[in-house]
Amino acid sequence: MVRALQQAMYKPFRGVSLKNKIFFSILVVILIISAAIAFLARWILVSSLISELELRGIAIARTIAERGSSYILDGNYPELLSLIFDEAKLKERQHLVSYIFISDRDEQVISHTLTRRFPEALRLANRVGPGESKSVRLCTLDDRRAYDIAIPITQGIYRIGTVHVGLNKNHIDQLIAKLRSTFLGFISLIIVIIFVISLRLAKYITMPISKLTRISDELSKGNFDIQLDQVQATAAGGTLECPALADADFPCRYLDAEGRPTGIAGAPPAGGEACRECPFFRHQKGDEVAQLADSFYNMIWSIRLYRRRLNESEEKYRSLFDHGPDPIFVLGEPDLTILDANPRALEVYGFGKAELIGKPFRELAPDQRPPEAAEGGPPAGRLMDNPRALHFKRGHKPFYVNLHASGITYKGRPAIIVATTDITEMIEKDAQLIQASKMKSLGEMSAGIAHELNQPLNAIKMGSDYLGLMVEKGREIPREHLHQVVAEMGTQVERAAEIITTLRAFGRKADLALERVRLDKPIQAVYSLVRRQFELDNIHIELQLAPGLPPVMAHDNRLQQVFFNLVANARDAIGEKRERLPEAPAGRIVIRTGQRNDLVVAEVQDDGIGIAEGVRDKIFEPFFSTKESSHDMGLGLAITYGIVKDCGGQIHIDSREGEGTTFRLSFTAAA
Amino acid sequence: MPRPVIASRVHRGRRAVTRAPWGLVCMGILVMGLLAGCAPQDESIPQSSEVPGVSPGEILLGSSLALQGHASFLGTQTLSGAMCYLQHVNAQGGVHGRRIRVIANDDSYDPPVCLANTQRLIIDDQVFALFCYVGTPTTVRILPLIDEARIPLLGMFTGANALREPFHRYLINVRASYYQETRAAVRHLVNDLGLRKIAVFYQYDAYGFDGLTGTELALRELELSPVAAGSYNRGTLDVQEGLARIRASGAEAVVMIGTYDPCARFIRLARVAGYRPVFYLVSFVGADELARRLECCPDMSVIMSQVVPPPEEHEASELLEGPIGYLTLLERYYPEDLPSFVGLEGYINARVLVEGLQRAGPGLTREGFVDAIESMGNFALGQDLTITFSPSDHQGMDRVYFTRLVDGRFAMIRDWSVIRRQLQAAR
Repeated sequence: MVRALQQAMYKPFRGVSLKNKIFFSILVVILIISAAIAFLARWILVSSLISELELRGIAIARTIAERGSSYILDGNYPELLSLIFDEAKLKERQHLVSYIFISDRDEQVISHTLTRRFPEALRLANRVGPGESKSVRLCTLDDRRAYDIAIPITQGIYRIGTVHVGLNKNHIDQLIAKLRSTFLGFISLIIVIIFVISLRLAKYITMPISKLTRISDELSKGNFDIQLDQVQATAAGGTLECPALADADFPCRYLDAEGRPTGIAGAPPAGGEACRECPFFRHQKGDEVAQLADSFYNMIWSIRLYRRRLNESEEKYRSLFDHGPDPIFVLGEPDLTILDANPRALEVYGFGKAELIGKPFRELAPDQRPPEAAEGGPPAGRLMDNPRALHFKRGHKPFYVNLHASGITYKGRPAIIVATTDITEMIEKDAQLIQASKMKSLGEMSAGIAHELNQPLNAIKMGSDYLGLMVEKGREIPREHLHQVVAEMGTQVERAAEIITTLRAFGRKADLALERVRLDKPIQAVYSLVRRQFELDNIHIELQLAPGLPPVMAHDNRLQQVFFNLVANARDAIGEKRERLPEAPAGRIVIRTGQRNDLVVAEVQDDGIGIAEGVRDKIFEPFFSTKESSHDMGLGLAITYGIVKDCGGQIHIDSREGEGTTFRLSFTAAA
Repeated sequence: MPRPVIASRVHRGRRAVTRAPWGLVCMGILVMGLLAGCAPQDESIPQSSEVPGVSPGEILLGSSLALQGHASFLGTQTLSGAMCYLQHVNAQGGVHGRRIRVIANDDSYDPPVCLANTQRLIIDDQVFALFCYVGTPTTVRILPLIDEARIPLLGMFTGANALREPFHRYLINVRASYYQETRAAVRHLVNDLGLRKIAVFYQYDAYGFDGLTGTELALRELELSPVAAGSYNRGTLDVQEGLARIRASGAEAVVMIGTYDPCARFIRLARVAGYRPVFYLVSFVGADELARRLECCPDMSVIMSQVVPPPEEHEASELLEGPIGYLTLLERYYPEDLPSFVGLEGYINARVLVEGLQRAGPGLTREGFVDAIESMGNFALGQDLTITFSPSDHQGMDRVYFTRLVDGRFAMIRDWSVIRRQLQAAR
């Protein structure tokens, strides 16, 4: 209740400046005090003045009563008249005394100082009662008013007359008015002086505040080069330089005090000792206003130093951004618009900066998934790796990049910084390597393939020999025989052609772009190529393919190589086991496919020698081989691993030494 | 005092808030408001439309002067000098058809009586103006009455400075002042006669003080001061003490400001004592009466200043002997009176009075009369004798004439070196 009242009282003053508040408070107080003093003093002065003048009138009347009594007794009226004229008109007294008259014991006027007939009304206007020593009454003489002071003239105990002294009320009023105006003038003068003093005082208090406000406004506008005050400029002849301002790594004991971070850059004190005496940070002696000014001054200087350091740091990181060797983008969330891009990005992607800013990142990277879908961690520091992403330059030219992304805060909003590395060349090298490895595999397979081709050729040979013999002998070929032989020959030719087609597909250099592939297809292809040859070695491949699997994003050709490498590896493992453990059963390879959640899984299982525990995590490294035979370069599994990784798949080993190994490939099902 | 809240915030409204001159304005209004109740009230005396003492056929004047007692010669001579001319005017039909009547009351040269007379003249007799007062203490006494009643007083047989400074609108002097008389006399005594030891003998009242002050001022201008001063009381002849003091000082000249009786006694006693300085007397003393009293001692050097031209002065001839001259009219209306300097002064006063009334016109008022007097510039009385008044100068004449007692009468001094030689020879 009281608080509400107070607030209501203060509310109208909220817009008033501090200076005016101080000024008017002082003024109001002084005015109230002055008014109180003025009224009190006026009352005292006026009342004492009137009583003093009355006393003077009484004194005049007493003098006349004393000196005039003998004249009255003698009837010497000229002397009496002379006496009252003397008393009435003596110098300045004539202004105060408006008349004097003397009446005898019968109240008849015997002398007066008027220059006209004595007004009858005045004669009895103020009578002194018997036994009274005086009587004062306000009388009217014509139209003027006077205080009539009556004193009896006595001789012995009898009254022989009365003297009346009329004090000019106008004159008294004028004296009072003069007194009043003098007094008020004095009070006014004091008020004016107080006015000036309070104005000065209010200004003195508020001027630094106004100045600070002005400086603050300047700071708000970003102008940090304002002149703080002349002290700064004049000290040390104007050549004053703060080492901390010149060198951002220089330790400043005010800025880098204990418990505070050491500068923006976190740089250790590199410049040695801090300044012994700081000419900038001030702690002067003075009143609160001066201290506030100092504090403010120091604050501004700190801001200036901080700003300087910030600038330096900003420049440093800006140069990392601007001159970084890889393209860097800043993407807004969640729509992945490009907010910023460094010059390298412009160069690599072939866009102007203006074109790039505001463009959706997806136009450059159509496959880019929003990071939310991939990971769900906190924005800051969130990482996202996307190897071998397909991006497009200007003109829709594709190229491959490794993409790294992490969440940052850009201009106060969550954003993603994306760095890409152009890996197209590397991928091409990879492809060449894979190709070479494939050629080598073809060589390895050539005996099996030759054998496979020989069979249809032999069949065709037998057919053609039979036909030739029959023609030579001149024998009629029965019609059904002829049809059977020709059909068999056609079948054998088709079979040979199919082998050649499979072979050609295997040897073909793969495209870089991924395609939708069903896993059965490369498995069947490899199976058809190697089945016969493996059977020669007494190794049986068993297919357990689940029907209706969803396709995956991969290369058919490369997956063939993957499976070829895996079965080749299985064959070697079986061969090794046969050598070391002749009595143990070996010679069975199972290729199995299936679906697990949204993953499409393919397994290649053998009952070979198995992989030792210690080398299990090394077998995908290039040039690593457990095989003692020198014809193997140790690249097969490494290439397999690379291909699977490139397709976004995973490869897993389940092995028991001496009992067999299972390689499990899992791919994300294509949408 | 709450100021109206400005809607903008402080940092925007700073310009509007910093200087607030209306604070001064507020204070000014406050102070003026307090002072407003103190304005002095107008104090004016209601002027009655009827002019006192003026009727279609008569102008009534009042006078209080010594007609009896030790100064009665001055009063009677002044009055007869004035009345002879006024009677002549009345005989000619008056001024604008109004006869001039003068009520003359005797005050025996006593100030209280003069005051009482004057009050009675103003209140009871309702006179138009006061006229022909004689003597300094008496006339000075009635100044308050004149100021208050605003009644003109013309023609005072006194050269008192108090009637001239400060300036009074209603006082109209005709003759030169005692200051002028004593100043001229002191210059003659010092410069022409080579006297440096000068004493003052004065009547112990306003008249004597005025003459003393005039003498002292004149001596101070010459870097001198009175070597002695003696006095007597008005109405007495107790001059021995003053004489003893002045004689002891060895003064070579005595300036005398008194009436004829004490002064004559002083001179006679000095002669008896063998003390023979140069006596100088101001005009008020009354030359003819003094000369009569000094018939016994023709060998004393007695010099007297006059403010009206002596008969020897050629410019006085018309004034004295013309058809309306003083001597002619005195002979006609007061054949038993002998002409005198005092009477001549009264006569001149009457001339000025009549001229003023004439100029004031038929619609006579006191203010109009004073204005008419002030309009008199170079009013010619005789051939070279002119009277000039102005709103700032209420003294008609400034001339001072010097006469010397020779063979029982005062004769005009034409050559001061003659007196000087005689003085040197006497030593």
